Amino acid sequence: MDIFFDILSYIVNNFILGLTIVIFSSYLILALISAIALRNYLRKNSFVDYNNIILAPVTPSISVIAPAYNEEKSIVDNIRALLALYYNNFEVTVVNDGSTDNTFKTVIEAFDMERVNYFFDYRIPCERIRGVYKSRNRSFKKLTFIDKVNGGKADALNAGINISKNQLICSIDVDSIMEPDALLKLVKPFMEEGDKKVIGTGGVIRIANSCQIENGQIKRIHLPEKFLPRVQVLEYTRAFLMARMAWGKLNGLLLISGALGMFDKETVVKCGGYSTSTVGEDMELVVRMRRYMAEQKQKYEVIYIPDPLVWTEVPSTLKVLGRQRNRWTRGTMETLFKHKVLFMNPKYGIFGMLGYTYWLLFEWLAPVIEFLGLIYFTLLVIFDEPNWYFFLLLFVFVYTFAVSLSTWALLFEELTYHKYEKRRDVLKLFITALIEPIFYHPLTVYWAVRGNIDYMRGVRSWGKMDRVGFQRSKGKI
Amino acid sequence: MNKRFIQLRFILNIVLITFISLIANLPVYPASEKESAELVLQRERDYEKRIIWGERFFSLHLDALALKQFERANKIKPGAYFPQYRIKQVTLRLNQSQNRFVSEFIFDFNKPGFLITALILVIVFSITSMVIALATALINRNNMMRAEKRKQYLLEEYQTMLVNYLFATEINQEFISKIKKISNNKFNRRILIDQMIDLSITLTGEEKEKLKNLYLLLGLDKDSYKRAMSRKWHIKAKGFRELAFMNIPSANKEIRRCLTSRNDILRMEAQFATIRLYPDNSFEFLEQLKKRYTLWEQLNVYETITFHQLNLPDFDHLLKSTNDSIVMFSLRMIRIFQLRNTFNTMLELLSHKSAEIRNQAIHVMGALKINDCLPQLKRIYKTETYENCLEIIKAIASINDESMLGFLKLVLDKEDDVQLQIEAAMAINKLGIKGSDTLNKLLTSDYKNYQIIVKHVLDKRIN
Repeated sequence: MDIFFDILSYIVNNFILGLTIVIFSSYLILALISAIALRNYLRKNSFVDYNNIILAPVTPSISVIAPAYNEEKSIVDNIRALLALYYNNFEVTVVNDGSTDNTFKTVIEAFDMERVNYFFDYRIPCERIRGVYKSRNRSFKKLTFIDKVNGGKADALNAGINISKNQLICSIDVDSIMEPDALLKLVKPFMEEGDKKVIGTGGVIRIANSCQIENGQIKRIHLPEKFLPRVQVLEYTRAFLMARMAWGKLNGLLLISGALGMFDKETVVKCGGYSTSTVGEDMELVVRMRRYMAEQKQKYEVIYIPDPLVWTEVPSTLKVLGRQRNRWTRGTMETLFKHKVLFMNPKYGIFGMLGYTYWLLFEWLAPVIEFLGLIYFTLLVIFDEPNWYFFLLLFVFVYTFAVSLSTWALLFEELTYHKYEKRRDVLKLFITALIEPIFYHPLTVYWAVRGNIDYMRGVRSWGKMDRVGFQRSKGKI
Repeated sequence: MNKRFIQLRFILNIVLITFISLIANLPVYPASEKESAELVLQRERDYEKRIIWGERFFSLHLDALALKQFERANKIKPGAYFPQYRIKQVTLRLNQSQNRFVSEFIFDFNKPGFLITALILVIVFSITSMVIALATALINRNNMMRAEKRKQYLLEEYQTMLVNYLFATEINQEFISKIKKISNNKFNRRILIDQMIDLSITLTGEEKEKLKNLYLLLGLDKDSYKRAMSRKWHIKAKGFRELAFMNIPSANKEIRRCLTSRNDILRMEAQFATIRLYPDNSFEFLEQLKKRYTLWEQLNVYETITFHQLNLPDFDHLLKSTNDSIVMFSLRMIRIFQLRNTFNTMLELLSHKSAEIRNQAIHVMGALKINDCLPQLKRIYKTETYENCLEIIKAIASINDESMLGFLKLVLDKEDDVQLQIEAAMAINKLGIKGSDTLNKLLTSDYKNYQIIVKHVLDKRIN
């Protein structure tokens, strides 16, 4: 029996070490691809005049769909900001998903809206639409307000798609703040469509905590004051500038964030719209669309734009952040299991062979393996003598690599968009990067494990997401 | 109650002690003589097992596992020669593969040397790159701010100088030497060229020519030409742009070569330069293009045509192109520039193999309000795709011909698709009094969902 455990521990040791090396190598490769893609994008962008799109008579039409649930405090400012977006051919559809507060009344009064005789088809199944409202004031001609029975975010988006009239749909979180030129940047890849059909585009999400906000727009950018939002700035920078950029380049991107994404409406409708049976509807839609296109043997692309296009408030308490990460894990698992046919399937190209496999091994399984590794190490300390020198070496290796990766993400940000003006902010973020692997990372592993357990227990709820809100802190959130 | 509690505690203690003893492999109570003999036998068996497995691992070069077995065997029989001999051998083998510096001066990791060396190298690399990245991030900010300040200063200087030059009656040598002095390095010259390009957009006629002369006088055309011939695409594209704006056709061959480049930006800049520099055959490239002519390229060419008021290419001829994207571009331009004389060729496109082109042709005929196409549209309705049927109804609505009322009523009556019904009703609504009367009659009808459709169509807030 002892020999068996010796061999087992030998295998486990080498497996964990091997996996760590593979994960870190993949991070390095992705960072390298991102750096090249980012440089090319910025060079190409220096030749682009987005004003050409504003003035052009041949631009694709866009329907911006914003689901709203209990958003009475900020909805008016946010709708005004949406209506002020730079584009000449778009409509804004706000979907009140059965809010229990005064969202409905607030919008009706603020925009002088009345019910219209809107005739439409439930092309994508969704909860009953109680009414469609338009403004009496012609200044708000672009705005359509839908009131429906509560069915969740995915269901509200489906309702918006049913009502929308345009070629492209742009789904956004109504509580997020879009950059005024976001639509121009998102639509451009659709206009550049070559032999491959562009089915979706997504951009970078930035963190709005502590930023100064006026009339639903970012007036001054500040680094979050609290540790938790600040550490998420690092996380987001790493994820968006170092990973997604590379996956976009490899055409293996699985996720366009629900906070902002633009899709070809025809493909979305053919795929059946957003899935209401998952808590990760944004990822599930992209995976389903890609799968559909591959099965139809159509050449396609999902494009990722490194420009910061939308600002959002991230959780600032452990409790809410834990709920969010738990939900993300469950959403990932639901999507991965629902589309398990993709796993290492050459029929789906890089998306199946690399993209899906990466998410399965590194996004879903890595935290679980990390947790099991921690338990294994604890048992080793109790029942056997671990190789402390080697453990220390491994710890330093993992720690320095993680901090180094974060510092490179900071440099990527600094050389590209440098949104944080003060030099002190860079130093603050670096200090956060030094602390993150010790204090924050174990928590993310814990939340991911909890997500796995909850998934197996059949938990399907979103979890309450309390937000501080734009209004409460008078200009700052 | 108290007695029961004591009993329970006693049982729990026994279970706990047994469990811990089992794990720690300790005897629960002192052994008798017979039991001692059994223990000796057990130790002997254990020792043999360790040696056998140790040898197996040793022969497989699994040194870490072998070492563990021999160390355990040595613990069982501390004086035995063989395990000690093997421990020395294994340690030696591990040390041979280890980094000597690491094993001698730092720690003895008891792991393969290449692994330890690799880990240490990664740690050193991580720390170094971390320091470099942080320093670059901090220094970059300073450099950027300095460059931005310098740029602003130069822009203001150049602007004043150029305006003075343009409105001066004669060329002042002092001015030339001053501007030459300021633009003595690459960075400064680049700013000057950018400034001249910005200015050239707003100028026409004599002033524009004067600016070009200054550009040549300062030898900036050589900078632009050098850039146009660069091997880096982004520098080359910049060179093309500069030459195009300043109207200098020196890099003709290179520009034409790049008209079919795989790099979309380079291709677009070459197209733009061709249109600007060679007005006689500026749109020739459209006939040669094999790749898809993207909407983005089309949009930029349209902007160039309108901004510089250039002559339009022969779109009637381009409608016959074998490249579908060129046909789409031509149709779009025909609509924008209202070129109704291309009607006959457009009519031929209604039987084109591409549904997208047929759709665009229908759309353009509707937008140009060409009545003559109505019989043809009516004829193809039955055989067309869903999207094209919708477009046909929209075109009929735009053309607004009362003779189509019967057809539209038929569509409204026979079609079950909501969107087709709405479009047909909207087309009827546009047919003046006759159309309104028809819709009002339908409003009172209980047949199908006419009431809802007509209410939707008549609601001015929706449409």
